[in-house]
Amino acid sequence: MTNNRQQADTGTKMIHIGRNTRSTIVSKGISAGHSENAYRGLVKVLPQASGVRNYTQCDSLLLSSTCGAHTFPYIDVQNETAVVEHEATTSKISEDQLFYCNQRGIPTEEAVGLIVNGYAKEVMNKLPMEFAVEAQKLLQITLENSVG
Amino acid sequence: MDQEILLKVEDLHAGIEGKEILRGINLTVRPGEVHAIMGPNGSGKSTFSGVLAGNPRYNVTGGSADFHGLDLLSLSPEDRSHEGLFLSFQYPVEIPGVSMVNFMRAAVNAKRKYFGEAPLSAGDFLKLMRQKRAVVELDNKLASRSVNEGFSGGEKKRNEIFQMAVLEPRLSILDETDSGLDIDALRIVASGVNKLKTDRNATIVITHYQRLLDYIRPDFVHILYKGRIVHSGGPELALELEEKGYDWIKEQVDNN
Repeated sequence: MTNNRQQADTGTKMIHIGRNTRSTIVSKGISAGHSENAYRGLVKVLPQASGVRNYTQCDSLLLSSTCGAHTFPYIDVQNETAVVEHEATTSKISEDQLFYCNQRGIPTEEAVGLIVNGYAKEVMNKLPMEFAVEAQKLLQITLENSVG
Repeated sequence: MDQEILLKVEDLHAGIEGKEILRGINLTVRPGEVHAIMGPNGSGKSTFSGVLAGNPRYNVTGGSADFHGLDLLSLSPEDRSHEGLFLSFQYPVEIPGVSMVNFMRAAVNAKRKYFGEAPLSAGDFLKLMRQKRAVVELDNKLASRSVNEGFSGGEKKRNEIFQMAVLEPRLSILDETDSGLDIDALRIVASGVNKLKTDRNATIVITHYQRLLDYIRPDFVHILYKGRIVHSGGPELALELEEKGYDWIKEQVDNN
């Protein structure tokens, strides 16, 4: 999650060494304000690792029209039996979504919070409880006054 | 005043991106009434509902709207909702990742907060959801699904009426609630609306077709054309329209 004029360059590395190994990577980025958020994901499959399976999903959510999100997949496969997938999406909270919430009585700031939490839920649910609570609070603080 | 007035719209002008769509609308709605607004495509029906609900897409350029003593047009969209205005969307919006339960809890508690009440407890809230779900025969699974995501056309519209049941508005505007519905879904939606009708609240039904009005009986029918209500009458007007189309209205207006 980036806000204001932050620039983040984050990423993951997944190196498959053993045979028949599997991995799933889910990355969710949120950009607000004038921030830029970049994700780099290395997936490497070594020559001896046959039957490897990897799935990478990289989603970005934009909260303003002045922020950006970038995804750079690095895929280095040295064994031809590997199946490596990469999927990326970028979405933006739309005026229509906000108006829909407003019409039901939910103020804009709260609506953004709902939508962002919904978006991050898939990842949050996987975190250990203590950390998930912390992450949620962090999200709230970063979100404050980021609407516009 | 002989009777309480719920909504009084006077000489309302509004448009989008500098283009004027509503050109002087007058409409008075009293509690207990059902008004139907009909009209050809592009006459301003959806703009009218959007302006009343406070959609920021539209600019109001003149006129006034009084909502049980409040200056409706100066209120924020969420305050209009709290004060009892509900819009059933023609195209309900999908909000991925946000479950219906969370969405409705946020809506209900925002309204309670507005009136200085404590948030509803989880138990009471779930009871309320169960109760209201029955109105439109929606099943249990709905609660855990994301708002409108992957809903069929019929489910979306039933979901709108479900939300209306939960929020208990004083004035409901149904914007082409019949579009995209098969006969069964239409019947369920209409019977939901009828169940929610009391002599304290009112409904504005916006539609193209007489069909919906077979199920939801209007007290008044208005024809909107080129941004003005050009003709008003009783339920018989809708039947007349169904038979003759809009051409005679267009001719009448365009020749004057």
